[in-house]
Amino acid sequence: MTPSPVAAGARAARAGWRHRLGADNATLALRVALILAMAIGLALSTDVFLTTTNVLNVLRQASLLLLLAAGLTLVILCGGFDLSVASNLTLSACLAAGVIKSGASPWLGVATALACGTCAGALNGLAITLLRLPAFLATYAMLWILQGLAFHYMGGQEIYGFPAAFRALGTGRFLGVPVPVYLMGAVVAAGTLFLRNTNFGQEIYAIGANPEAARLSGIPVRRRQMLVYALSGLMSGLAAVVYLARVNAADSGMGEPLLLPAIAAVLIGGTSLFGGAGSLAGTALGSIILAMVINGMNLLDIKAQWQPLVVGAVLLAAVLVDLIGRGRRERIG
Amino acid sequence: MTAFAQRVRYRPRRLPAIVPIGIVVVAGAVLAGHGFASPRNIGNLGLQASVLLMLSMPMTLIIMSEGLDLSAGAVLSLCSVAMGLSLAAGHGIGVALAVSLAAGLAFGVTNGALVSLFGLPPFVVTLGTLGIAEGCALVLTDGNAVSGLGAGISTLYASHYAGVPFPVAVALATWLVTHVLLYHTRFGNYVFAIGGNRDALVLAGVPAWAWHIAIYAYGGLVSGVAALLLTGRMNAAHPTVAIGMEFDAIAAVVLGGTSFERGDGRLAGSVLGVATITVLRNALDLLGVESSLQVVAIGVLIMAVIVIDSAHSTWRAGPA
Amino acid sequence: MTVVDSPADATAADAPLLSLVGISKTFPGVRALEGVSLDLYGGEVHMLLGENGAGKSSLVKVLYGAYRADAGTILHAGRPVEIHRPADARRLGIAVIFQEFSLVPFLDLAQNIYLGREPCRRVTRLIDHARMHRDARTLLDALGLDYDTRALPVHLGVAQQQMVEIAKALSQRARILVMDEPTAALSDREADALFAVIRQLRADGVAIAYISHRMQEVLDLGDRVTVLRDGRRVATMPRAEASADALIRMMVGRPVGAVYQRRGYAEPGVPVLEVRGLRTATGVNGVDLSVRAGEIVGLSGLVGAGRTEVARAVFGADPIEAGDVRVFGAPARGDPARMAARGVALIPENRKQQGLALARSTQDNLLAASLWKLFPRGRYRTRQARARARDLIERLRIVPAQPRRLVRLLSGGNQQKVVIGKWLSADCRLFIFDEPTRGIDVGAKSDIYALIEDLVMRGAAVLLISSELSEIVNVCDRAYVMRGGRVAGELPRARLSEENILRLAMHEA
Repeated sequence: MTPSPVAAGARAARAGWRHRLGADNATLALRVALILAMAIGLALSTDVFLTTTNVLNVLRQASLLLLLAAGLTLVILCGGFDLSVASNLTLSACLAAGVIKSGASPWLGVATALACGTCAGALNGLAITLLRLPAFLATYAMLWILQGLAFHYMGGQEIYGFPAAFRALGTGRFLGVPVPVYLMGAVVAAGTLFLRNTNFGQEIYAIGANPEAARLSGIPVRRRQMLVYALSGLMSGLAAVVYLARVNAADSGMGEPLLLPAIAAVLIGGTSLFGGAGSLAGTALGSIILAMVINGMNLLDIKAQWQPLVVGAVLLAAVLVDLIGRGRRERIG
Repeated sequence: MTAFAQRVRYRPRRLPAIVPIGIVVVAGAVLAGHGFASPRNIGNLGLQASVLLMLSMPMTLIIMSEGLDLSAGAVLSLCSVAMGLSLAAGHGIGVALAVSLAAGLAFGVTNGALVSLFGLPPFVVTLGTLGIAEGCALVLTDGNAVSGLGAGISTLYASHYAGVPFPVAVALATWLVTHVLLYHTRFGNYVFAIGGNRDALVLAGVPAWAWHIAIYAYGGLVSGVAALLLTGRMNAAHPTVAIGMEFDAIAAVVLGGTSFERGDGRLAGSVLGVATITVLRNALDLLGVESSLQVVAIGVLIMAVIVIDSAHSTWRAGPA
Repeated sequence: MTVVDSPADATAADAPLLSLVGISKTFPGVRALEGVSLDLYGGEVHMLLGENGAGKSSLVKVLYGAYRADAGTILHAGRPVEIHRPADARRLGIAVIFQEFSLVPFLDLAQNIYLGREPCRRVTRLIDHARMHRDARTLLDALGLDYDTRALPVHLGVAQQQMVEIAKALSQRARILVMDEPTAALSDREADALFAVIRQLRADGVAIAYISHRMQEVLDLGDRVTVLRDGRRVATMPRAEASADALIRMMVGRPVGAVYQRRGYAEPGVPVLEVRGLRTATGVNGVDLSVRAGEIVGLSGLVGAGRTEVARAVFGADPIEAGDVRVFGAPARGDPARMAARGVALIPENRKQQGLALARSTQDNLLAASLWKLFPRGRYRTRQARARARDLIERLRIVPAQPRRLVRLLSGGNQQKVVIGKWLSADCRLFIFDEPTRGIDVGAKSDIYALIEDLVMRGAAVLLISSELSEIVNVCDRAYVMRGGRVAGELPRARLSEENILRLAMHEA
């Protein structure tokens, strides 16, 4: 007897809460649950966690990471990859620092960082869409190039001491909440609006989920990829500004330690490396989880040496959980 | 004569772009003088390059199998720490080496299992194990270097074999072993197959999943041996000594013409890649070029080599 | 439906080398094989004949362990055996020559031939290259092939790679050889040379199962012929009792039952698609055809005839080398984005790989081709989108009727409806369907036919590519039949019958 469509429909209907909620929302719900669980755990085991100062601190750390990870999220959603985001941040921040230090208005510095970031991103896009280089390799080479340019520009020196107006972007508070947190909110809101409520956003998801099907649906794949890499560069520039304002110093190694945490934030946030699934909200939650892990370990007096181990384990756990949830088929043989 | 009865000649493969580029770099370095060709400098070069060479050998295999190992540097550091702790506790070099090998193997098998059995992307897996390995190293040493290792290991490091310094000898031996593995054993053929046409291997009745794990396990083993060099050089074990070295190894492999797809590998190319990077850096150092521009140069080099090599590639995967 | 059996040919061995008894295999929504039995005798070429979807590929996959049969037994020299994975099949001496090749790109020919069984030196366990190349040389010489064993697959043409596959099978000392349309990529002369090899193998006592679509081949080379249809075995007979007409009738004959009926035929309007002399690098060798508004024009032919390639070239998915393609009167040389904007829709052959984003929802997939038509200013409004998706779901009767359900979870028929639905909001006037009902249950099929008819009744033009003969006959106004990259003939409604199509497709004048 041929299996009927009714049976198939019944089978699909019995699928769990995950699918009823919509896959993306389910992923986010899991993260929120994890954050709540961690929060409860930390609140119970330390006095300090739930204080306003501490919570705001965690949020600020998270937002610094998110600003960098946001552009990367876009690229990964579109099925690509960008290893150069951190070096992009470094170069943009160093150039901005030089501009500001030379007496120009901080706004010019901001503009410099944004411009530099976008240009670097656009170069990545060109390499990938025109030269057809694989994303991983092209952005890997760009990583070296940008890092080297930053080294060269800085000449081994540091630039520090910026005007208060500029520093406010990183250290300032508005209504008691640090400015970067507002920026994080703004970026998540604007980015989510872009992804969910514009045609571009829908096309980006489509390309990430199946580039060939997207092409055959009439979506101009290469043009969108170009856009996404440029946007990612822009975000790196923005992150550079905020980071520079926060640490009040620029040196040629500032971005390097941020690359792996940024990638981790994206992945822990539930965005799939295969493309087409994930969200900026997820990356924000991933950034918060990472910040909470580090904060929690500090509060519990766990030595800093445990941090990479815990982050690595969290990353693997997040990916494995998503694997089971999405039911990816294992390879035979 | 029908098409398939026509003669098919053996055409030796086109040399990867690294060969002419490498020759140019070395020639340029020699010609630029500044003491590049002095025996002392060459000796230094050899020492600098040996660890990188060792890391890039299994990395070649891993990349050929469409994989990646971002944890190589961290695992190497951890092996060094394990070896250091063992020596500091009074054990001999043999035991210390065994401990180091065990640590490397554990991570190698973990990487391989997650990639082969669960189908997780190697990038993510090795990123995670990178953190875990780094964390283990930091925790075991409390963030400090392990010292008091006794004289044994640094003596070993300084020893010579027919004029060849120990680290260079070990690195060359690793190259030799990897070469034999890749080109003279079934395992080597399977590496090509896993990267080029995994289904063909499964259809041939071979347990491809197991050999896939073996590729990563080999990486762990080599890290375990390379720890000898690191620990011996400084007579101490730093928990973060080799973090980031995997990027150099990946660069060397990519420069050498190994492709991320289709199971195309050139071990000698990776060696040339290591040599080119090391020579380039050294020569530019001697010329007083700042390290920043060196880094830019390497980046541009990588892009150029990739573009040239992919423009030359001629394989089209079957009619499918 | 009766099963016709004939007494075994006197020249074959007494007992079959391999017997499949009552093999069944079902997938969700499709019954691939039902109670199929097959005997393979040594020293015999056993031809397997059947339309696309008749079950030949599934049978082969059961033979070499890619599929595990749901029911039935396999007997090897009379003893029951289990074939659960390719290694099992290998051990039994079964080797398969594929259409898609299983060569490793950067291993040389000798290494490819001996993959997994490389001869090793006793002591060191290292590969004995000299011996491997010597043995490979012997094999290739036996087949009359002058290939250097150090060559890489990249140095070989398609036909030559095929010969290496055969050498590989021979090196396994296979006693049972399965060949799946081995001459699909070969010219007639190359095929003749292959037949010489096959005859030699037959003389050596090898049992050969040979899937073919070329009637001439079947009659020239076969010793015994089995016809499959709809997953069942229709008949097995010795060559002497087989004739082209009889075989075609058996391949095609349909059980009396529900067959789709057109409600009516529209008066054809202006030509919407005109193709003249189309040539592409993908295998189209000079195709002329036209489709007018209000018509459903079929494009039939065997797999490999070039039909999908024509569709892709028209849609801009593959480059056009030569020829004139006009869509809505204007020349069409663009990419899919441009063609879609002009109102052309392509429902591709492989819905999962080319038509759907499996990780996304039904709604997302349904709107993927019409984003800018629905929201010209670029602002995607979720509520509007959801409403539009619900409309489409209702109109197409997609189950479950949930816009947010992941498309991956839908049955094949519903997935196909989503692919079709994708284009319904995009203002398309030319629809190209490539195998729209492959692997789909009966209910969804008739829904899709009704939908296609509805499209032309509203003035669109449809080009329907299908390997299913009854589909072409029952749904189309008229049909072209392709063969070898060209149009072999055109069948107006009066002459549109399954037998006529097969004749044109299979080289019978």
